[in-house]
Amino acid sequence: MRIGIDVGGTHTDAVLLDGSDIVASTKALTSADVLTGITNALDTVMADADVPQAQVEAVMIGTTQFTNAVVERRELSKVAAIRVGLPSGEGLPPMVDWPDDIADALGRTSYMVKGGSLYDGWPLAELDEDQIDAAIADIADKGIENVAISAVFSPMNAAPERMVAEKVLAAIPGARITCSHSMGRLGIMERENAALLNASLLTFADRVVDAFLEAIRARGFTCPMYVSQNDGTLMNVDFVREYPALTFSSGPTNSLRGACKLTGLNDAIVVDIGGTTSDIGVLEGGFPRESNVVIEVGGVRTNFRMPDIMAVGLGGGSIVAPDGESIGPRSVGHRLVTEGMVFGGDTLTSTDLIVAAGHADIGDKSCVANLDPAVVAAGNQTIHRMLDGAIDMMKPNADPVPVILVGGGAVLVSGNLKAASKLHRPENAGVANAIGAAIAQIGGEAERLLSYSQLPRDAAIQKVTNEAIERAVQAGADAGTIRVADIEETAIPYMDEGNTRVRVKVIGDIAALATKEGN
Amino acid sequence: MQVKAEDLADLSLGAVFLATGGGGDPHVPELICSEALKTYGPVDLLAVEDLPDDAHVVSIGGVGAPTVSLEMLPSVDDAARTLEAYEDHVGRKVDAIVSFEIGGANSLIPITAAAGRGLPVVDGDGMGRALPEAQMMTYAIAGVCPSPAVAYDYAGNVTTFTTPDTSTYERHIRALAMASGGMITTAEHPMTGAELRPAIIPGTVGFSIKLGRVLRENRGRADQMLPALKGVFADSVYGECRLLYCGKVSDKATRIIGGYDIGEATLTPFSDEGDALTINIKNEYLVARLAGEVVATVPDLIVIVDYETGAPINAERLRYGQRVAVFAVGCPAFFRTERALQAVAPSAFGFDIPYVPLEEL
Repeated sequence: MRIGIDVGGTHTDAVLLDGSDIVASTKALTSADVLTGITNALDTVMADADVPQAQVEAVMIGTTQFTNAVVERRELSKVAAIRVGLPSGEGLPPMVDWPDDIADALGRTSYMVKGGSLYDGWPLAELDEDQIDAAIADIADKGIENVAISAVFSPMNAAPERMVAEKVLAAIPGARITCSHSMGRLGIMERENAALLNASLLTFADRVVDAFLEAIRARGFTCPMYVSQNDGTLMNVDFVREYPALTFSSGPTNSLRGACKLTGLNDAIVVDIGGTTSDIGVLEGGFPRESNVVIEVGGVRTNFRMPDIMAVGLGGGSIVAPDGESIGPRSVGHRLVTEGMVFGGDTLTSTDLIVAAGHADIGDKSCVANLDPAVVAAGNQTIHRMLDGAIDMMKPNADPVPVILVGGGAVLVSGNLKAASKLHRPENAGVANAIGAAIAQIGGEAERLLSYSQLPRDAAIQKVTNEAIERAVQAGADAGTIRVADIEETAIPYMDEGNTRVRVKVIGDIAALATKEGN
Repeated sequence: MQVKAEDLADLSLGAVFLATGGGGDPHVPELICSEALKTYGPVDLLAVEDLPDDAHVVSIGGVGAPTVSLEMLPSVDDAARTLEAYEDHVGRKVDAIVSFEIGGANSLIPITAAAGRGLPVVDGDGMGRALPEAQMMTYAIAGVCPSPAVAYDYAGNVTTFTTPDTSTYERHIRALAMASGGMITTAEHPMTGAELRPAIIPGTVGFSIKLGRVLRENRGRADQMLPALKGVFADSVYGECRLLYCGKVSDKATRIIGGYDIGEATLTPFSDEGDALTINIKNEYLVARLAGEVVATVPDLIVIVDYETGAPINAERLRYGQRVAVFAVGCPAFFRTERALQAVAPSAFGFDIPYVPLEEL
């Protein structure tokens, strides 16, 4: 059995799963200290399920704490950035386009040194060891222990970053280092930004992981613990201590994965309707479709793999215009229970519309009995029109696609959606996030820019796949169960034909559990 | 008139609109240009009629694969050093710098080069938009020799060219760009003031700033933006501006052939009823057909913007489901001569259709 816990801004949810079956679930408010909420959720599911603790094989946690730390500029450590890439990029130092407050929080310490390579592996400049040693000596003098290292085209040749990392460790014992090639993709500024954010979270990550472990150990669990990543896979404890930033956006991802599990649909649109927004994502082969655009986290441009989510300003608390022709984006949010008309308030919300139309029984329906039927009808049409339009924009092509409705606001959809081939409303949709965390496997990803004219396509893909497998094993996957989840090939404009960006994602079972089940 | 650091956001936005789907992402060039203007102060923008006949002008810009510079960043001094290398090569100082392509990132590189040296930038460029090949620029069409020219790469390697015609030069600089990591900066097509005057699309730098401001101040639904856009184009070298279509992208298929992103996008009305608009893409948006009838073709400008905000959408970023509006803008008169059309008419891109000016469609 597995326990999945989702720590959100408002709620902490937990589920106990036995294979595919939900044995127990709970939804409780997130506590200010986070941990009390987690222990309470654990206690509730274990009490409801009445199973011995020894039967719990793993605890999976999805958390927004690291995203919030960046957005709120707290718990961030000072970081020194070393970029290997001169003479390219001279005058464009690390953090050059960051908002001042977060650049200040990290301390604005950066060094640019010679080296790196071209797209085809040709050296950009000879490494200057004296220059690197001088930078490291300066970092040591300043007492900075968290270091982010980037190099031009490091996703293709990580050797310069690794070499600098070794030098840092030799000079500053106990230094915490993030190399940009381990954070992801082509685009040096965005990849370097990802490495900087990650490095600034390393100290906090130790505290969070220690606290999580303490909480589950204090309840007597001896099983391994895993943390959700933004691509719908898990990291073991050692991995999350090194890559806390990979948890960014894991909440929406877990919601999509949970919806996949609840319906058995691998290809579908998932609409998560909350109080203020409807978050629309796409399941492709059981995993969230990823966004291809630059994503800002706390005002910093990054190229993290993030689920492609469109937020529409329509939720259960959205405020309805007097004629019902437009709804939102303003919402009464959690004050719905006092300000909504069915709760005795005087604000017309989308929840009031569906109660008035007789599609749901929430609050006191006599409070909306006198609403103009024309406004109620128009409002209900507006809800469907807004969702239809948004779903259509997220569809991968013009073919009809099944739509899965989750979240507390799913009742807003009373009729058919034109964009949907079929509507699914799974039970337990309220804890989809926790389910998504509990069912996850372990993944790995690698990306390279390769020339098919130099390395044949099959060999090129194999090379990148091997790197992805190596990453997955490092994150705790059982090598024997790893399979390729996705291969993406992108040709590059204005380059010779055959130059292709190859990205491979692999997924495998959790090694610790596989061994156990094998016994 | 001067270009100041605070004008750059508008200039980039206007330049991306004029890039008709191509031209690359100006984020990094904008950062660099902004650094240069903050360090050295504003750059004078010189009207082409105020340029002395014997002034020595050179055009400067980036050539290669914009995708590569996401990884191998340009340096702040690349543009200025390209200029120095050019001056060393020809043995004289230049009097002014000009852009060869206003569409996209190349609108900013001449300004960056001029800033450190206190040189003026001539207000205008060699395309009035973005186009994929050097022989399509007005300087080449007007018969200006591409060389003496120099190319400067990431490591300061300098290559010089002595080439009689722009088509050959284009072939050589592409090959060099690949050998130099994918991107180079060139100083090329040197001209005197007297030679430049009939060869330039005048006023496009100042116009880009103005266009960017109009797009920013009227940000919102594309159809509601039309009167403001009509106004700003009417008062320029372009003239006509039309809203061709509002709808959603119902199909987009492109692939890379010979270094170009080639394919087609299909747009259908929001209501699903009515005719579809198809757009042929070769890095830029080239031909628009409504229910099979041509409604705009290169060298007139076809621009796709986000329907809700009016923000221009690059061809690489266009994808299924986006709600968009399509504008067509008349090209500058220069391109409508027979000689120019040999280089930039639809047939030059492999389309077997004649060029009919937008106003006559």
